[in-house]
Amino acid sequence: MINSRLIGWIWGSAIAFVFAAIVLPWIGSGSISFERVLAKASPDYPIFVELRLSRTLLGLMAGGALALTGSLFQAMLRDSLATPYTLGVSAGAALGAVVTFALDLERLLGFPASWGGAMLGAAAVLVTVAGSALKGGQLSGVRLLLSGIALNSICSAFILLINSLVRDRRSFSITQWLLGSVDSVSYTALLVFAAVVTVTSIVIITQARSWNLLAVGETWAGSRGADLRRLTIIGYCCGSALTAGAIALTGPIGFVGLIVPHLIRSRISPDNRILMPCSLLLGGVMLACCDTIGRLVMVPAELPAGAVMALIGGPYLVWLVRRRF
Amino acid sequence: MSSLLDVRDVSSAYSGHAVLDAITFAANSGEFIVLMGVNGAGKSTLLDIVAGIRPPEKGAVMLQGRDLRSWSARERSRQISHLPQGNRQEVPFTVEQVVLMGRYAYADQWFESKEDLMYAEDAMKRMDCLQFRHRPFSTLSGGEHQRVLLAACIAQCPGMMLFDEPSTYLDVHQQLQCFSTLAALAREGALCIAVTHDLNLALAHSTRMLVLNEEKLAADFATVDAAAHPEWLSWLSPRLRMHQTPDGKPWVLYQ
Repeated sequence: MINSRLIGWIWGSAIAFVFAAIVLPWIGSGSISFERVLAKASPDYPIFVELRLSRTLLGLMAGGALALTGSLFQAMLRDSLATPYTLGVSAGAALGAVVTFALDLERLLGFPASWGGAMLGAAAVLVTVAGSALKGGQLSGVRLLLSGIALNSICSAFILLINSLVRDRRSFSITQWLLGSVDSVSYTALLVFAAVVTVTSIVIITQARSWNLLAVGETWAGSRGADLRRLTIIGYCCGSALTAGAIALTGPIGFVGLIVPHLIRSRISPDNRILMPCSLLLGGVMLACCDTIGRLVMVPAELPAGAVMALIGGPYLVWLVRRRF
Repeated sequence: MSSLLDVRDVSSAYSGHAVLDAITFAANSGEFIVLMGVNGAGKSTLLDIVAGIRPPEKGAVMLQGRDLRSWSARERSRQISHLPQGNRQEVPFTVEQVVLMGRYAYADQWFESKEDLMYAEDAMKRMDCLQFRHRPFSTLSGGEHQRVLLAACIAQCPGMMLFDEPSTYLDVHQQLQCFSTLAALAREGALCIAVTHDLNLALAHSTRMLVLNEEKLAADFATVDAAAHPEWLSWLSPRLRMHQTPDGKPWVLYQ
């Protein structure tokens, strides 16, 4: 049963999320005066609103999206190492975005072209992976994971190929983007991303009991009354929409989808009714904090949030593998 | 009056190779049926088809007179609980969480109701696992695992229960307890169908036996008449002989 202590963790995570949204924008290389921001005085006000605040909000949402997708894929594939990375969805989105950089496409139907590229890339990988894993009308988790890993390598190879074909400025911006950084983006972009995150999170989290069943086994879930086909489709569609949105805006950031669900599973609860909302909220806090740390450690230069996350996440993964096997 | 379960002319194949050919039988509440056959005879396939999680290639399974394919997954799971073979043991959930999963088909809410918890507790009491309800499932022994999974199936309150080799990995005492429970569930009005390789456990507890041989349902008889159909033994192994217990019940000797 879910008790009030566990529900308390969701509230606690929500408070941490709001607290991060309020506090983190004030932290950075240059100090910002509270009075001057309230008075909308330059340069404090534009720095706060256009750089720091939008950046914090992006970190919160992208981190949440990636961590939630991680917990979702881990339940669906019954593998605690499954993330958008292992399924190739991240690499597909990254390849799509890199193609738009290489072609110097700026905007597509009013939105940044890299968005469209990432969405197309993620969807293409998903269709290919699901297609190759589909046999006799049934999707198998192991086959999905194997084809995901294959697609991941193929996409990475294409990214390297494109990067070596294009020259100087574009190659530099691709390399920069591939590091995975949380940069300030327009509020229109944030609003669209927020809508995607809200809708898909609601769809995913309301199905939490079904993900619990799938985490035990496919036949087990089917025999308890879960509609496997429907759940598989919902899970992969929502997961790739979240991943593509996050990757398009931040570049490929790994580990947040691995570390956050793992910590919550082992410290709080493996029940997806607690695990998923906490992953969404704390994943956001984690990425936004990594971004803030990256802003501070090498002033005036910045360490991309993806690099900070990898420096924390890499050793954690090694420790996890040592403990598991 | 139609039967609770009516399997009509069911056929199935794996990549072109026939596994089941025109299987037909009917069964009713109160029966404890064991399904036997050599490895690869199609026992699990037949059980999955009867459970509604694999569609038959030909033929139909009727539950309460209605084709199983027309039932929604939830509707079906309120009538049928199925314990698949070889369940994973490194599940992250606690015993109570696993047993409560048996109530999935009953609630649309995000939380289980008081009633769900009551059914789960009764099932755990019955399977003697209430005392470790808060322990992680992964820390239990093989026998305890099986009891918890059985409790989840019981909490599901179905009219028909299907078990795929429920006594594998169990010690002798646990095997006996497991089969007594299945027999008791049948006496209380459920239809139980179990796949097993243990002939004497089957003879001692079941009411009816089905034997699969060469894709066909080769034998279907009441357990008390097992000695009258000795040919089914030779399909399982040439090294089996029919014998009797001191009180006259059929008993199989291994040679």
